[in-house]
Amino acid sequence: MAEAVATPVANKARTLTYVAAINEAVRIVLQEQPNSFVAGEDVGGAGGVYGYYHGLQKEFGADRVFDTPISEEGIIGLGVGAGATGCRPVIDLMFMDFMGECMDEIANQLAKMRYMFGGRATLPVTVLTMAGAGASLAAQHSQSLEAWLCHLPGVKIAMACDPYDAKGLIISAARDDNPVFVVLNKMSLAMKGEVPEGAYTVPLGKAKIVRPGTNYTIVSWGRMVHECKAAAEKLKAFGIDAEVIDPRTLQPLDLPAVIQSVKKTHRCMIVHEAVRFGGFGGEIASQIQELAFDYLDAPVARVGAPFSPVPFSPALEKHYVPNADSIVAGVKAQLGL
Amino acid sequence: MGTLGIVANPSSGKDVRRLVARASVFDNQEKQAIVRRLLVGATQHSGVKIVYHDDAHGIVRGAIEEQHITDAVSMPSADTRSAFDTIDAARGLKEAGADVVITLGGDGTNRAFALGWKDPFLIPISTGTNNVFPILSEATVAGAAAGLIASGKVDPRTVATQQKTIHVMIEGERDDIALIDAVLCLERFVGARAMLDPEVLSMALLTRAEPAAVGMTTLGGLLKPLSNREHFALLLNLSPSAALRLNAPIAPGYYREVGIESHRLVNFAEEVVVEGPGVLAFDGERERRLLPGQKAWLTVNRTGPKVIDVPLTLQRAAEHGLFVTNT
Amino acid sequence: MAVTLTDSVLKDIHRRMVRIRRFEETAGKMMENGKIPGALHLYVGEEAVASGVMVHLSNQDQITSTHRGHGHLIAKGGAFDRMFAELYGKATGYCKGKGGSMHISNLEVGMLGANGIVGGGPPIAMGAGFSNKFRKTKNVACCFFGDGASNEGSFHEAANMAGLYKLPVIFVCENNGYGEYTPQRNHQAIVDVADRAAGYGMPGVVVDGMDAVAVYEAAGEAIARARAGEGPTLLECKTYRYYDHVGVRGMGLTYRTDDELAEWKKRDPIELFESRLQEQKIMSAAEIKAVHDETLAEIDAAIQFAESSPFPDASAILEDVYA
Repeated sequence: MAEAVATPVANKARTLTYVAAINEAVRIVLQEQPNSFVAGEDVGGAGGVYGYYHGLQKEFGADRVFDTPISEEGIIGLGVGAGATGCRPVIDLMFMDFMGECMDEIANQLAKMRYMFGGRATLPVTVLTMAGAGASLAAQHSQSLEAWLCHLPGVKIAMACDPYDAKGLIISAARDDNPVFVVLNKMSLAMKGEVPEGAYTVPLGKAKIVRPGTNYTIVSWGRMVHECKAAAEKLKAFGIDAEVIDPRTLQPLDLPAVIQSVKKTHRCMIVHEAVRFGGFGGEIASQIQELAFDYLDAPVARVGAPFSPVPFSPALEKHYVPNADSIVAGVKAQLGL
Repeated sequence: MGTLGIVANPSSGKDVRRLVARASVFDNQEKQAIVRRLLVGATQHSGVKIVYHDDAHGIVRGAIEEQHITDAVSMPSADTRSAFDTIDAARGLKEAGADVVITLGGDGTNRAFALGWKDPFLIPISTGTNNVFPILSEATVAGAAAGLIASGKVDPRTVATQQKTIHVMIEGERDDIALIDAVLCLERFVGARAMLDPEVLSMALLTRAEPAAVGMTTLGGLLKPLSNREHFALLLNLSPSAALRLNAPIAPGYYREVGIESHRLVNFAEEVVVEGPGVLAFDGERERRLLPGQKAWLTVNRTGPKVIDVPLTLQRAAEHGLFVTNT
Repeated sequence: MAVTLTDSVLKDIHRRMVRIRRFEETAGKMMENGKIPGALHLYVGEEAVASGVMVHLSNQDQITSTHRGHGHLIAKGGAFDRMFAELYGKATGYCKGKGGSMHISNLEVGMLGANGIVGGGPPIAMGAGFSNKFRKTKNVACCFFGDGASNEGSFHEAANMAGLYKLPVIFVCENNGYGEYTPQRNHQAIVDVADRAAGYGMPGVVVDGMDAVAVYEAAGEAIARARAGEGPTLLECKTYRYYDHVGVRGMGLTYRTDDELAEWKKRDPIELFESRLQEQKIMSAAEIKAVHDETLAEIDAAIQFAESSPFPDASAILEDVYA
């Protein structure tokens, strides 16, 4: 079931950027788990291309925070082999788009080893990776490919929408005994938010009601959560009091939280930054019609990116990525307003 | 029109001695590049026909194609991926009447070649592990020397030295041959062939005792040097408990202390008898196992390949003005 | 040499080879009889490689395997009963019937799985080697792969990283001359996969993969190097598989000749080895026969175990997806 508010924490919160929250989370993981290490392209000397491993190599040494060659298949394989033999790797996959280089290691090895071996392998591997369009990085550095991962039994997928969740999800992922992808968003790096000191977790498989509402449900994750909140404010003008739910993890998926909300509001939309066609929103929409068909007053709507690669030009990209206005437009179209 | 034969051993320079001893690795691209350079040298002279052993790796064939040599003759090759391929190639080149042969390999390659053709005019280029027998020569120049001989411009008899060999008769089995050294070691298996354990060495018969080399030849070389030209061999009786100790590079990059029990010169045609159990190693590699009581008779003679002196060949040609044209 | 070849080691290698051969022959028969579902890739012909390497390893040393993986698990200490049960798809199998032949594994003896993906093993072995170094153990990871897998990017990435970090990994190439049905000359421009080692800063060595002693000696050196922190080795073993890429009679494809097979069989790793053991009086014919007989009796019992074991319950489908 969803939490109405943020998990209470013992330590006092400060305002941190998304980058600083990631950095703090990884530092805590390295502190609390002696068999953990961070491996990835440019994570050591450079501290990560976006700086979220800044200072960690200096603090924990080059044995535990180290640069790898640009070899995504090798990097994920390092995680699989080390994870299966007593380490708790934290693997950095710089951009999610690079999954194409290592999909065998992800899909056929990392995701399946435990099952294929009859449960006798444990793979406590955390993969941190970056999604998101909006920086004019074009078609190969801007994608949101979480749906690829959702089709793979054996991995968990967390989507961090803000600094608080980024830190809490990374710590949860690293403490989990399964392969967990924590998908970060490059357009959120400078975003600030309240982040408690010390270790805390955002549980995997537990949705968060970001904005309570009464007569409309919006399910969204990653950076789109913020666009949905803004859209919800605009929708008030149309008499719509939207509840915004962030599942936080797509696998495991907190379906009961979504269903409970839909049963209350009777109308629903799923919003994601990924291409709409074949996106994970389709799965949620289908689940809703299976589990709450009689409660629906309107077809379940979806907003996502158009069926094209991410374009380069800012003039095109701004129309490509969903935003509060396109979400409002989607709701109006759905309801005939 | 004379014939130049070429054999490149694809397996040379790849055995376990690269691990223990850090011997150099000769990949087959490098061997092909060497063949290409020697072809360039050889084809500066007209009237040279090339006959080559088409090895499983296509080393020579590839080089010939790259050089656009269209009239080279390829010899059908055995493809056992073993020393037999080289033996077979030697027989073929002998049959083809090669006037001079270039081999690429180490001591083991040339030994295998000599098993198929004992006394060719030979330019052995080193691409092996132990390279006592082959010469260190830039392939372009070696090729040029081969070209001078194959084209009939230099008489090979004036620039070649026939090598000593050890003929090995093994009781109840086929004969064998060694060019540099024959060693009895107290092992039971041929295995990975390398000889790296000084504790098991029992006897060494050396056609040469080279102080400036690596391998078993240095056991004599550092004790009592014996050159290629002398009409003797050197026999060493070895034992790990011998008082006389010798620290020698028994493989490339690999010094070990060896106990020398005794040593003496051996005349040509004099028989040295050894008895199993043990393994006989020839030119640095374990080759033949001897069962308990099984005997082998070793004799040294100067009946081996006639190795061409490359610098001398070019010097002779220069003295005769063969490189100069006057327009 | 760091490696000593005692009679007990020789007998150990022999037993491992016989166990592989007999297991595989039986598995092939059981597949043809319809007892074993799916695809089997038999290791017959290549026994000297697995046995010559594995005799150096402890249960704490890891290996990764290929789709032709039964031999690796047997040589690493896999038990026949659990293995046959897995091939049969039974709940008592090593993987509870969820992996089968292509994913057979036993982590307790350090066997990180057969792998249905050609080239699936090298990155995992590299990761295990990293783990050994990171956890400061003296263990090594041996990666078995074929000439075909040496064309996969995964091999090159793993080899590069193993060389870069000087990991205790031995890349054991079982070059059987064919990538599935395609002869090596049609799938790579080189003949010695070992030539690729130089590109990754490690030594590459070629050894006769039909000669267990040759494999044993070379693997011993490579493993000693790895344990001493001197980094990875590429050890190429030239070998041959007697049966088809998949199954016993395969699909009747004419991609290789009977003559070629007959030539390789003249160098059969077990017959060759047994004749040497006998001529050196290390084992008598009767002792050798006893090893075969004991193995066959154990196989009979294992088949009995597999056949009398239950199939997994349908509810098991959803178990073991996550920890």
